[in-house]
Amino acid sequence: MRRIPDASPRGQAITVDLEGEPLPAVEGEPLACSLVAAGEDVLARSIKYHRPRGAFCFAAACSHCLMRVDGLPNIYTCRTPARAGMKLERQNAFPSAKVDLFGTIDWFFPRGLDHHEMFAGVPVAEKVMAKVARQLAGLGLLPTHEAPPRLPARSLRTRVAVVGGGAAGLAAAKVLAERGIPFLLLEREARVGGRLTRGAPLQDDPTVLDVASFPKGSVLTRAHAIGLYDDEGGRFLGAVALEPEGLRLLQIHADRFLLAPGGHPGLLPFENNDLPGVYAGRAASLLVREHGVAPETAALVGWGSELHALARLMEAHGTKVVAVADLRGPLPANAHSTASTGSDPKAHGLKRVGAFSFTRANGKKKKVDCDAVLVSIPSSPSFELARQGGASVHFDAERGLFVVQAEADGRTAASDVFVAGDITGGGTAKEAAAAGARTAEALIGGLS
Amino acid sequence: MSKALICPCEDVTVEDVRHALSRGYCDVESVKRYTGFGTGICQGKSCQAAVAALLSKEAPLKPQGIQPFTPRPPLFPTELSLFASTPVDETRAPVGGVPEELGTFPPALRPAAPVPQKAKVVIIGGGVMGLALAYNLSLRGETDVVVLERGYLCAGASGRNGGGVRMQWGTSVNIEMAKRSIDLMKQFARDLGINVWLRQGGYLFLAKSEAVARRLERNADLHNKHGVPTRIITADAAREIVPGLTMKGVVTASFNPEDGVIFPWPFLWGYAQHCLKKGIKVETFTNVTGFDISGGLVRKVKTDRGDIACDTVVLAAGAWSPEIAKLADVKLPNEPHRHEILSTEPLKPFLGPLVSVLDSGLYFSQSMRGEIVGGMGDPKEPAGLNMGSTLRFVARFSRALIEQLPQVGHVKVLRQWAGCYDVTPDNNPVLGRTPQLENLLQMSGFVGHGFMMAPAVAERMAAWMTTGEHDELFHRFNLRRFTTGRLEREDMIIG
Repeated sequence: MRRIPDASPRGQAITVDLEGEPLPAVEGEPLACSLVAAGEDVLARSIKYHRPRGAFCFAAACSHCLMRVDGLPNIYTCRTPARAGMKLERQNAFPSAKVDLFGTIDWFFPRGLDHHEMFAGVPVAEKVMAKVARQLAGLGLLPTHEAPPRLPARSLRTRVAVVGGGAAGLAAAKVLAERGIPFLLLEREARVGGRLTRGAPLQDDPTVLDVASFPKGSVLTRAHAIGLYDDEGGRFLGAVALEPEGLRLLQIHADRFLLAPGGHPGLLPFENNDLPGVYAGRAASLLVREHGVAPETAALVGWGSELHALARLMEAHGTKVVAVADLRGPLPANAHSTASTGSDPKAHGLKRVGAFSFTRANGKKKKVDCDAVLVSIPSSPSFELARQGGASVHFDAERGLFVVQAEADGRTAASDVFVAGDITGGGTAKEAAAAGARTAEALIGGLS
Repeated sequence: MSKALICPCEDVTVEDVRHALSRGYCDVESVKRYTGFGTGICQGKSCQAAVAALLSKEAPLKPQGIQPFTPRPPLFPTELSLFASTPVDETRAPVGGVPEELGTFPPALRPAAPVPQKAKVVIIGGGVMGLALAYNLSLRGETDVVVLERGYLCAGASGRNGGGVRMQWGTSVNIEMAKRSIDLMKQFARDLGINVWLRQGGYLFLAKSEAVARRLERNADLHNKHGVPTRIITADAAREIVPGLTMKGVVTASFNPEDGVIFPWPFLWGYAQHCLKKGIKVETFTNVTGFDISGGLVRKVKTDRGDIACDTVVLAAGAWSPEIAKLADVKLPNEPHRHEILSTEPLKPFLGPLVSVLDSGLYFSQSMRGEIVGGMGDPKEPAGLNMGSTLRFVARFSRALIEQLPQVGHVKVLRQWAGCYDVTPDNNPVLGRTPQLENLLQMSGFVGHGFMMAPAVAERMAAWMTTGEHDELFHRFNLRRFTTGRLEREDMIIG
């Protein structure tokens, strides 16, 4: 990855500290972005095999980018805005993440390590193993300092709590605003828009709605939902919001919960899918659109319309796309010139991606040099909140996804929980927006 | 080295999932526990659909049987100090809990084949008690046994506890049983071929009132008489064992270096795999629906997969035991009580013992994986089968933990869950024959510490059942004591 040479400046240039060395960054961008843009691919070592790990999803849905930041362990650098002077350290490595002696574990156990049966009952070996395992276990050291006193938790009440400010959530909020229904929309990013601002654009994408037209105080950004709980006051959403004075825990009671959290970047289990330089497709589109950071050469793998849209986006920003391996097909008419259907993808490289290979439909193997592999598969619905709220979830074997079961108007098995957008199993942003509006209408109809 | 990772947080490979399948663990919850997938920082966000896709292709599961594992709050790693900022009204009882997960095992997971038509012994409950008993029966040559379990292995309290094992008890009988259990745990891997990761870091009990302090002192004397090296220690000595521990308000502390923590799940897998090899049937996802009773004996156990004629029935269903007993018109004095628990992000080792404040029931330890695992009972918790999670618990626990160990304020909670204690009026178990129903044997009422007692209790129960020789345990703790006998109360209950 590198900063695109002619990209417009995204903010003030600052310096953070990476294990004693200065690292250039842009104020406010995610630390993981600063790191990859500066060519720091290896951010950590994995928990068991000490495999090198670099940023992958940029969506707090994996653990590849965890580092020790300012004395606190296991910080998602993909969610931590860079500030001048921050101290970053890699974790779980000896003597360093670049040369980690424990990396040999990976080679000792080429076929994996069965911690249940390994040395079980072997007199001396089992005791030694228990001691070694205890020392090797865990990620990160205890924080160096106590937590400051926190802002007091706040309890709120609204008619409708909307989770997610992507295409579906915004369209729903627009309907609620027009109908004068009080609502509170939570968006975990600094800006709303979801894939409309961070994904690979599709032709029929709707425009991002302007939240300025919504009633004041009805949109809360940088607020992360952590659970759909209940207490004597009924059901409430637990959330953690980043306010100017710091983090605050919120309890949001509502009559209806409209869940449009989208999906998590999916994981494709292929050889070396965890190598630094392998990125989720939506991470690549986020980096290029929001931060002007992109690989020089990339191979793309996955399926679905976003895969091919991503190829177009990357190429438009100067990345040389050397292969597009569509594992499902058929290829769309406007597919990239290097696109072909195929199988058996594999990333190659010792500490970072150097090449990518796959088997083409004609049975011939294709291997290309590249410095990034971008994995674009349909996002995996964030069903967790809905399930906590009592909605049913089922596995769609055809698409390989868990989806929340809902009527066309967003109703679920739980009378106060409605869903729209990717959480029901995907579709385009246009479809998500239509579902959001439809769901808001249905929900209003049931409000007394 | 080339590997295909399916859960990068925990370094679980595609091959690891296949290995779990080869061991017979096919449903998502079981595969999660056996491989560890989805237990890392991301809690399954990136990996779960990939695992499910693999299971849908390679596991003998109906499509409706592929259900995601229970999504636990918090959905994003959240600091203990933030949870501690939530106000709690201690005068009110906790209400609710999410998700309601009782009775939610999809029928699609129920095996299609009928259960055996008869067996000598039917054990109701495939938790650690039932499986340990089946194992011990097999050692004594009795393999005509069927174990019935309503969910997957580990679905009940045996899969939900904090893994603490201790000899520090308040009565001789419990001290002796715990000692024997820990001995058996030490040789478990040798006997059953699976690691249980016993780590004897000790139990450090703190007392914050004079009354509780006296109790610790009295019990320490009793422990010494039984050869348990418990000692009453000073605040400074306690801080040496756990650096950073605040001792404000602590009157006294007791420490036994031989107590410890284990990893609970492998016990169930180890026992179950052995039983299967010996021909014992372990029937998961199978519900008991009633009994055929005549002439003062249980003749058949009825299940939703058919009836089983039998000579002896053992009720080892933990917190579900009163419900099952009712089907035989037997009233147990046991009551289920929810106890919540949580686990944090994994950290490098920093905490040796399990620490418990006996006054409040707060306990916390560091697992072999590095997580802080802990809980705290809620005196207002109403009786009832409830395994939902509340924000109230995390708030109470976080506050109490940070008060004791301020350095963990920034440590992040990864997940919370709950299990049910099986509480009896005297905090002691219900064991032995049922009055007026001679061949229904009771094995329940362990008040949250059944896990650590199971290896020893099951050993004695199997001996008693197969030899018929007198064992005072099954008289002392007989159901009769609640109507006719004298109750001897156990006072070292935590969690």
